[in-house]
This record gives sequence, C-alpha cells and structure tokens, in this order.
Amino acid sequence: MADKTKLGMEFPPYVFELERGKIAEFAMAVSQKENKSQIKQIYADSAAAKAAGYKDVIPSPTFATCFALWGGAGLMPMIQALSINLGRLLHGEEEYEYLAPIYPGDVMTGVTKVVDMYDKEKKGKPGKFMEFTVLETEIKNQRGEVVIRNRSTLVER
Amino acid sequence: MTKALTYDSINVGDAMPTFTSDPLTRTHLVRYAGASGDFNPLHHDETFAKMFGMPRVISHGMLVMGITGRAITEWIDDKNLRKFGVRFSAMTEPMDLDDPNSKARATIIVTGKVVEKFEEAGEKRIRCEVQSADGLGSVKIMGSFVAAVS
Repeated sequence: MADKTKLGMEFPPYVFELERGKIAEFAMAVSQKENKSQIKQIYADSAAAKAAGYKDVIPSPTFATCFALWGGAGLMPMIQALSINLGRLLHGEEEYEYLAPIYPGDVMTGVTKVVDMYDKEKKGKPGKFMEFTVLETEIKNQRGEVVIRNRSTLVER
Repeated sequence: MTKALTYDSINVGDAMPTFTSDPLTRTHLVRYAGASGDFNPLHHDETFAKMFGMPRVISHGMLVMGITGRAITEWIDDKNLRKFGVRFSAMTEPMDLDDPNSKARATIIVTGKVVEKFEEAGEKRIRCEVQSADGLGSVKIMGSFVAAVS
C-alpha cells in the first residue's frame, strides 16, 4: 500500500553526468543490438552526429530514465520510501518534454516530487483498488537551464 | 533513413511508417536492465515473478517505450522531438527460446498517425498518436508525441 502521507514530498536531488559509453549502451539496449556499429550513429559516433547537425552524440528519447536509476539511490530506495510493494508495482504512464538538447559531459540534476496519489476501483472487482502515485521531475543542466520535464505514474495492482 | 518531412506536405491522418521489433528475449531484458539501471527482479528473475503469480518474467515497460521511441526517431529527427508520452496497458512477456510460437507475443509492432498540425512556441509542429502492440494484437502502449516540422 503506497503511503499517502508522502504526497508532496521531494526526493533528494540526483546528479547524473552524461557519458558517451552509457548513451551508446542505452541506445543498443532499446535498439536490440549487440554492437555500437549497428545502432543509429548519432547515438555512438561524434563525427556522424556532427554531420547530422548535432554538437556531439545525443541520447535516445527515453534515456532520461537512467538519470534517477543510476544517478540517484536507485529504484528500490524510492519504492521503499513510498511504501510501494515491489511485486505489485506496474508502470502506468511516462511522459517526457524535451526543452533543450543534452550532450556528453553535461551534468543533469533532477528533483522528483510526488504530485498526486489516488486509488481507482478495479474494473469488475468492486471494493478492490489500484493505487496510483504520480511523480514529476524537473531536470536541469549544469547551467541551471531546465532541459527535460518528466512525469511518471506508478501503479500498485 | 529519415525522409524529409515538411509541414505543408504532411497531413492529418498520414501514417508514420510501421516499425516491427525483433522478438524480445530474456537477454534483451537483461541488457536493458543493465543499461537503464532498472533492476526490478520481475524483469530477470523468474523465481521472483512466480512469487507474484506470474508464469515468467515480463519486459520493462520502459523497454517497450524505448522501442516505440526508436520507431518514432526512424521517422522524425531526434532533434525535432518535443514531447513523448505513453500509457502502458498490458505486460509483455519475452519469447521462450524453445517455443517458436512464442515469438508473436514478444514482437512489438509500432504504428502511428498524425492527428494535429499546429503552431506553438514559434514553430510548426505535428502531434501524432502512436500505438505499440504485440504480434497477437495485444496493445502494450497508447501514446502520443509532438515534433517540430519545418
């Protein structure tokens, strides 16, 4: 049972530095490839990225999911802080808003806040509820500019 | 690669090219766990999944979103993506290597279409709806994205 008293709480800021290796590794994982040469080269090769109009390699669209998981304390402490039962945890929704490009060497700082917690009755199961926890994260670069806004909805089934 | 899209040539109702993933295997899930840092055992440890009444591990929803993002950025340039959001509607099980019939449930097919053309923040943009379903028709993701188009 998610702890509803956690509504409004902010997690400690995480800090994550963008690294070329991680950017390519992540792109390989979502591209189901085993080799850097098999993925879109703007994720792996600086020269190819420059030729395509970028300052350097860039991360693929959902890369920001790494920031909290690798830059913060990880998934488990966050789930524990919210008193969510890991075995019943499902991912409900995820949204990214991209406000400025990010490159290797940029340092991301993210502050995640619990913005909503609510229950919804399960379809066809009166008296049984799914519990929803909505998290919002504002991610800034080393110059203090907001580069990504992220919203995640966690569900306990 | 990416075909040049222009605001004038694209219309509401136009489809984005259909994308079909490789069938997801447990190895893909392990690779994604390491890359993303999401080590929820539900995605790699069958004994944990069984404790919660599930016959086998399931994919990270975020891997299916990542595959959806790949489908989108094979059509539009990464630098033009402004927003990307999804709702997860079903779990995805990887294929069992000893059962070729399980490939369909592990194959993600991404489709989408333009639903709106508009101007925002001083640029021309399109909004598209996307859907990711498996080879059996089970819908995993309903979502949308906004992209800038010159």
